[in-house]
Amino acid sequence: MSVAIIDYGSGNLHSAAKAFERAARGMENPQQIVVTRDPEVVYRADRIVLPGVGAFADCRKGLDSLDGMIEAMTEAVRSKARPFFGICVGMQLMATRGKEHVTTNGFNWIAGDVEKISPREENLKIPHMGWNTLDVLRDHPVLERLDLGPKGRHAYFVHSYHLNTANEADVLARADYGGPVTAIVGKDTAIGTQFHPEKSQRFGLALIANFLKWKP
Amino acid sequence: MILFPAIDLKNGQCVRLEQGDMARATVFNLDPAAQARAFAAQGFEYLHVVDLDGAFAGKPVNALAVEAMLKTITMPVQLGGGIRDLATVEAWLAKGVARVIIGTAAVRDPQLVKSAARQFPGRVAVGLDARDGKVAVQGWAETSEVTALEIAGRFEDAGVAAIIFTDIARDGLLKGLNFEATIALAESISIPVIASGGFASIDDVKALLMPRAKKLAGAIAGRALYDGRLDSAAALALIRNARAAA
Repeated sequence: MSVAIIDYGSGNLHSAAKAFERAARGMENPQQIVVTRDPEVVYRADRIVLPGVGAFADCRKGLDSLDGMIEAMTEAVRSKARPFFGICVGMQLMATRGKEHVTTNGFNWIAGDVEKISPREENLKIPHMGWNTLDVLRDHPVLERLDLGPKGRHAYFVHSYHLNTANEADVLARADYGGPVTAIVGKDTAIGTQFHPEKSQRFGLALIANFLKWKP
Repeated sequence: MILFPAIDLKNGQCVRLEQGDMARATVFNLDPAAQARAFAAQGFEYLHVVDLDGAFAGKPVNALAVEAMLKTITMPVQLGGGIRDLATVEAWLAKGVARVIIGTAAVRDPQLVKSAARQFPGRVAVGLDARDGKVAVQGWAETSEVTALEIAGRFEDAGVAAIIFTDIARDGLLKGLNFEATIALAESISIPVIASGGFASIDDVKALLMPRAKKLAGAIAGRALYDGRLDSAAALALIRNARAAA
């Protein structure tokens, strides 16, 4: 079993890879974590992880620069039903469009746009940086036994934009930052988190472990 | 062997397409419920219904037409098109659909098929529609790189009632069923397989009753029934005789 983490020059690649390696080590059947720029490796992987930090358009451009990568990834996820985990901008890319400065097309796996967050309270700064609890909207195998909710564990966010989904059913969990912030999306065999599981300590590792165990 | 007459719904009407192309639609009946009654009167035992607009939209669109059919006939109905989540599966089964057909979601969300089949044993079928051997999704607007056998293999032991295998290249063109590919699929898996796409004439019925096709659970006939090329009485008589002889 192999887990391909796509290397397209994103800033959180190494911390993400480390977190997945750590989560995999604790499992009964360890899975090999491969950091790769090769679409063939991604196409053949059993699971795919797309990290991402920075601006939506830059991340899209970085991915586009790897010839055949988006096609390989899309085919593996949408036809071969391989589990996919998008992190932060990697999650935002699952949307129809990004509207950060310029409008950029996403993969359109999850209908909706990536839009600037607009907290009601003026003292809430943008970017939103910090730890928040999550409200679970829908059960999902990757959310099992995670101790979430208002008194549960915290996830680490750093972002100014979030995925405003067209269908509420695609949102697995939300955070509150002067209004609802999309925290986890899930559709078919793909999930994505706006927060950084690789920086969310035990909760992040437990979430990653659930993803590695998930057999959709 | 069951011969399923097909009713495909577009804008509330009963149509036939050519190769799944919505631009090449022929309206055969403005009243799908009347068409369903006509098929029941001809002696068919199981109706195949597709919500074409639903397949593109990813959710039911011609629900009113389907409900009108369910109210007017007692023959069991299998329904596909736009069934992508458990809530939609549950809703249709509760409304009296005998079994639902999951197509696109069987490719993208295999867990849905497995959960639905576990929850509703015998009432979930998978629709696999192939173009040049590769499975197409989203109302056949998108083609994947996976074969029908790869997808079908996911559902071995999942309790799926049937796989409906359609050859898109033949669909609506009256070229005859693709026996070779359909029988090959049926022999590779334990799930019953229903052939679809290109049903042309009584010759297809005869071929379905030959020993080499014994693995096939049935076939779907569309345009050939509407344009009279296939005489339903003769077809059903052949099937009845074959059953009596078996």
